[in-house]
Amino acid sequence: MKRYVGQSEARLDGVWKATGAAGYTHDVTLPNMLYAKILRSSHAHANILSLDASEAEALPGVRAVAHWENTPRVLYNGSAFAVTAASHFTPILDQYVFDNKVRFVGDEVAAVAADTEAAAEEACRRIRVSYEVLPAVSDPLEALGEDAAAIHEDQGWGKNMLHAPTEAGVGDFEAAWAECDVTYEGTVKLPVQKQVPMETSSSVAQTLPGGGLRVWSSSQTPHQVRVLLANVLDIAESKVQVICPPFIGGGFGQRSGMSGKAEMIAAVLALKTGRPVKLEYDRHEEMTATDSRHGGYVNVRLGAKKDGTFHALSLDPVLNTGAYCSWGGTMSMKIYTFGATVYRVPNTRHFGKTVYTNILPAGAMRGFGNPQAMFAVETAVDAIARKLGRDPIDLRMQNIVAVGDDWDNPFECVSTELAACVRRAADAIGWAEKRGRKQEGTLRRGVGIAVGRHVSASDRASGVFLRLEADGSLYMTSGVCDMGNGITTTLPQILAESLSIPLERINMYAGDTNATPYDIGGHSTRSLYDRGLAVINAADQLRQNLLEYAAEVWGEKSAALRYEAGVIRGAQNSWTLEELALYAHRHQRRFEVIGRGRDSTTAPWEAHAAEVEVDMETGVVKVIKVAAAHDVGVAINPALVEGQIEGGVLQGIGYALREEITFDENCVPYNDSIHKYMLPTAGDVPVIESIIVEANDPLGPFGAKGVAECSVVPTAPAIVSAVEDATGIRFLELPLTPVRVLQGINEARASQ
Amino acid sequence: MNQELTLTVNGEEHTLAVESGEMLLDVLRGRLHLTGTKKGCGEGECGACTIILNGKAVNSCMIPALKAQGGRVETVEGLADGEKLHPLQQAFVEEGAIQCGFCTPGILMSAKALLDETPAPDSEQIREAISGNVCRCTGYVKVEQAIQKAVKMLGEENS
Repeated sequence: MKRYVGQSEARLDGVWKATGAAGYTHDVTLPNMLYAKILRSSHAHANILSLDASEAEALPGVRAVAHWENTPRVLYNGSAFAVTAASHFTPILDQYVFDNKVRFVGDEVAAVAADTEAAAEEACRRIRVSYEVLPAVSDPLEALGEDAAAIHEDQGWGKNMLHAPTEAGVGDFEAAWAECDVTYEGTVKLPVQKQVPMETSSSVAQTLPGGGLRVWSSSQTPHQVRVLLANVLDIAESKVQVICPPFIGGGFGQRSGMSGKAEMIAAVLALKTGRPVKLEYDRHEEMTATDSRHGGYVNVRLGAKKDGTFHALSLDPVLNTGAYCSWGGTMSMKIYTFGATVYRVPNTRHFGKTVYTNILPAGAMRGFGNPQAMFAVETAVDAIARKLGRDPIDLRMQNIVAVGDDWDNPFECVSTELAACVRRAADAIGWAEKRGRKQEGTLRRGVGIAVGRHVSASDRASGVFLRLEADGSLYMTSGVCDMGNGITTTLPQILAESLSIPLERINMYAGDTNATPYDIGGHSTRSLYDRGLAVINAADQLRQNLLEYAAEVWGEKSAALRYEAGVIRGAQNSWTLEELALYAHRHQRRFEVIGRGRDSTTAPWEAHAAEVEVDMETGVVKVIKVAAAHDVGVAINPALVEGQIEGGVLQGIGYALREEITFDENCVPYNDSIHKYMLPTAGDVPVIESIIVEANDPLGPFGAKGVAECSVVPTAPAIVSAVEDATGIRFLELPLTPVRVLQGINEARASQ
Repeated sequence: MNQELTLTVNGEEHTLAVESGEMLLDVLRGRLHLTGTKKGCGEGECGACTIILNGKAVNSCMIPALKAQGGRVETVEGLADGEKLHPLQQAFVEEGAIQCGFCTPGILMSAKALLDETPAPDSEQIREAISGNVCRCTGYVKVEQAIQKAVKMLGEENS
C-alpha cells in the first residue's frame, strides 16, 4: 500500500499556481463592483475637529464616503486574538471602524467607494479634515515618560500601558541571583519588523438578500473575520460569509484576523452603496498601516553556578505595541513563556510592559515574541559561556530542557531532540574548526549558534468535515487557509495515509465559512498539528461507522470486522470502499463526520548555526551559511518542511541584518516601500542547509509537530553570536546594519 | 484620451482602446482578464508583474500600455502548451519552489527570459535574473534548484 506520510508529494495547488490560474482576492471581480480608497492621517497623533465630505460626495462616480460620523461606533479588536483568545485572557478592544482621533501616520480617517480607483482617490483628496495636532512618540520608554500624551484613555493601568504589567516566575529569583557564581545582565533592543507578504491586504464585500454579507478576503482566519464583521456591523453571524478566494498571497501572521481594515471598510461601503466594493491596499499602505512585529527592549538577567548550571533567569520586556492593541495583549507574557522554558532554570522572574506609541500597530508576526525572547536569552547564555570560559555549545547542552523536566508551562515536555539539532547544526557549520579563531585583517569570519522552542497546540475548537461520496472518493473541508505553507496538501496526505486510499481520490475544500466547520484559522504553528489530529479523528470515526454498517448489513459482529487498505473485511464478506459507498448510497445511507483535535500541546525545537563574514571597513555582515536543524517530530511532507525552514531562515537573516521600520521625529515611517525596506532577495541568500530531525512525539498526527514559525526564531541570535566570534564584539541591538556595526567596531577600537 | 493599442499576447493579437495613463499590467489584468500576472507594488520594486515584452523581462506595472504598441507579450498563461507544462513550470511544481504562489508567475517569466537567452546559466546568472523578483515565502533555495532542473530538462528536450 502506498505511503503518504513522510513523502514529498508535489503540492496539490502547484499547477494552478504555476499556470496563473490560482485566484487571490486581488483577482476577484464582480459585476457592478465599486472601488474603494482610504484617506489616511498624515499626523501621528491628532484629534479630528471637523470632517466635511460634501465636496467628495459630489464628485462624479463617487457612491459613498464613510467616516466616523456615519459608521458603527462599536469598539473592536481586528485581530483573531479578540475571537480566539484563551479564556484567561480578556481581549482588549480599542479600535473603531473610524474614530474621531488618529493615532499613527496612516491611521484610517475616511474611505470612498467610487466607480473607479482614480475617482475614489480624487474624492479622498477632496475630503476636508481639520486636526488638533497632539504630541507623538515612537518609542515605548518615551511613551511612559511624563511629557508623553495619552494615546488611549487610561484603563487603570497607567498612561499608555496596554494592560497591567505581566508577572510570572518560579522559585525565588532574588535569592537565587545572590547565590550565583557568575551573572550577566543586559538589555537588547529590537526593531519593528514587517511581514511583507507579496499580496497586499485586500477584500471584496458584497451584500446579500436578507441582510447578509459575502466577503472575499486575504485573511488567514476567515471564521474570525466573520465573527468580527458580524459583531461590529450588527448582522447575525450566520448571515456573514467570508471566503478565502481560494488562495492567499502570504500572511506570516499579519492577517491572523482582519487584513488591516480591508474587510471592515469594504463591508461598510458595500452596505452603504448596496453594490460590491473592492478594497485593495497599495504597497505603501501595506508597509505602513498593517500590523508589524513588536519592537522594544528586553532586559535579561541570567545567573549560573561555576559548574555552568543555570540558576536564575529574569526576562523583563518593554514592548512597543504601536497605536492599537491587535495581538499585543499576550505578547509580553510570551517573551517569558518562550524564553524561560528552553533551559532548565529553577528560579525565574518576569515583569513585562506593553506600551502604546504613535506608530503602526504591532500584532502577530511569525514567531510571535519568540525571536525577541531568544535574542535576549541567547545573548545572556553566550555571555555566561564567555565568563566561564566554556564552549557555547557545551554550556547549552548541559542546560537545555530534557523530557520530563520541570518547566513553567501548562503542558509537559513529551519530546525533544534539541541536543541532536544542536549537534547536527554544529557539525554542518564546521563548528570545531571554525569557532574561536583569532583574526586580523579586513574580512573576518566567525560561527555562532542559537536555539529555541516553539509550541504546537490542538484543541477541539476547529473541526474537519469528511464526507464519503457514493463512488468511494472522499471530500474534506476545513476552515483553515493555505497561505503557502501547504496545509491543503498535507491534510489530504494524512487522510490518504489514515484510510489507505490514493491521494487522487481526495478533494479538500478550505477557507469558505459557509462550507466549513468553525476554525481558528491558519496561525500559531498549529494547523498541521491540530487539523491533522482532526483528520485522523474524522478518519477513525468514518472507519468505525463503515465497519458497523457493514456488520449490520452482513449480520456479522462489528468487532470481528477489519478495515485494511481500503477494504472492509468480515468473516465471510468483504467490500471495497467503493462497493460499500455505492451500496450504502442506494440504501439511503451516507457517511459524513466532523473530526476534531484533542487538548494537547507539544514543543517543536530548533537550533541554527551560522557562519558570517564581517568587513571591518564597511561594517557589512555577509552570511556565508546557515545550518538550520529542526525537531519537527515527523515530517509529513519533507519538501514542504524544508520550504518552511528556508523561508523562515531568510526572514531571520533579514531580522538580523537589515529589516527595520524607522521613524522620523514626527513619527513618519521611512520604510514605506519594498525598495526602502531592506528584506533579503535572491542575491542575499547564503548556503542554507535544512536539517530535519525526527523525534518520537506521542501526541501529534503520526508524530508530527509544527515548524512554520520555528525557523525565524534562532537565526538572528546565531548570526549575532557569529559576528562576535569574528570581531569580538557582541551587539545588543538589531538589525546589524553597516552603520551599527561600524559604530561598534569604532567603539571597540577606541576602548582598546 | 483613448488611443488604439495593438499587441500580441501569448501569440494572440488584440486591438483595444486604451487611455494614455493605463499601464501594461492594467491592460493585461483588467482588459484582457489575464490575471496570472500580479500587482505586488505598482511601482517596479517587487517583480510580481514581470512579463516578457519583445524578448525582455520587464515590470509591466511600469510600462505605459501604449509603449508596447505592436509588441509581442508573453505572460504566465502562455507558458504551457495546452496540457503540457513548460519545463520551468514542471520543475517549480516538482521541486517545491512554490508556496503562496503570488510571486510565481513573475519569477517564471524572469526565468524564461533568462533561459531563452542563456540556455545554460550558472548560479550567479540565475540569481541575477531573479534578483528583481521578491519572494517572501521560499527563501529562493528551491526556486534556484527548480530553474537549474528546468535547464537540464530543456537541454534534454533539445538534444
